[in-house]
Amino acid sequence: MQIDIKTENSILIVTIEGSIDSKTASEVQQGILEGSVGSDNVIIDLTKVDFVSSAGLRVLLMVYRQIKAKNGKVILVGVSEEISEVMSMTGFINFFEIVDTVKTALDSY
Amino acid sequence: METQTQTITYTASLDVLEPIRELLTQTGQEVGLNKKQTYGLCLAVDEIATNVIRHGYDEAGITDGKFDLIIEKNENQLAVTIVDEGRPFNPLEHNLPTEEDLSMPLEERPIGGLGVMMARQSVDEFNYEFSENHNKNIFIVKFSNEIKE
Repeated sequence: MQIDIKTENSILIVTIEGSIDSKTASEVQQGILEGSVGSDNVIIDLTKVDFVSSAGLRVLLMVYRQIKAKNGKVILVGVSEEISEVMSMTGFINFFEIVDTVKTALDSY
Repeated sequence: METQTQTITYTASLDVLEPIRELLTQTGQEVGLNKKQTYGLCLAVDEIATNVIRHGYDEAGITDGKFDLIIEKNENQLAVTIVDEGRPFNPLEHNLPTEEDLSMPLEERPIGGLGVMMARQSVDEFNYEFSENHNKNIFIVKFSNEIKE
């Protein structure tokens, strides 16, 4: 798993590659939560993420709570059909805006 | 076709989750599962293996634990069984999140219980047995059926 974090117009853009399972989730969570200290909005690019377990959903939940508390918005980019299925099963899907590209996400703020 | 069986022993560490998913993905492709079935199997096994490693061994203070992954295929189905000697845990007796929990705003919803629910819903059949001091978590994917929506 690789994670890249940058800020553009005070929006945090997190690009993740690989799998978010119970081994890698804590690293992802720490990276995003530390990175989002100065940002009210977060874009998480999952285009290159092939697997998300419940541990990964828990990370999304923590990020959602933190950003929501600041009245910000979390946008997910490039969610695969399989991951989208898991998010539906657990009722997560309705809370996130999901778009195809980072550019679309940036334009929607 | 007779049943073909393969058994692999893993160290009870989160490091083995990725190799297990790789093996199951490869096996799924070999037996002709579709993408959704393969993903569901990987997810289910990942969730339960995580529980076995974390709760069955680590929290029970058992170090250098091991578990077996048994893969059995025949003409009808692919069955994967996790056999471990950790603390007994029956996922079928675990309270699943209710419809109410799942429709709660994310700010308020409880954080646990998702993994077991995802495991049970991501394969065609999920079974648990406890015998001779071993937990057996059994995951079955049937070739004829799609995973139910």
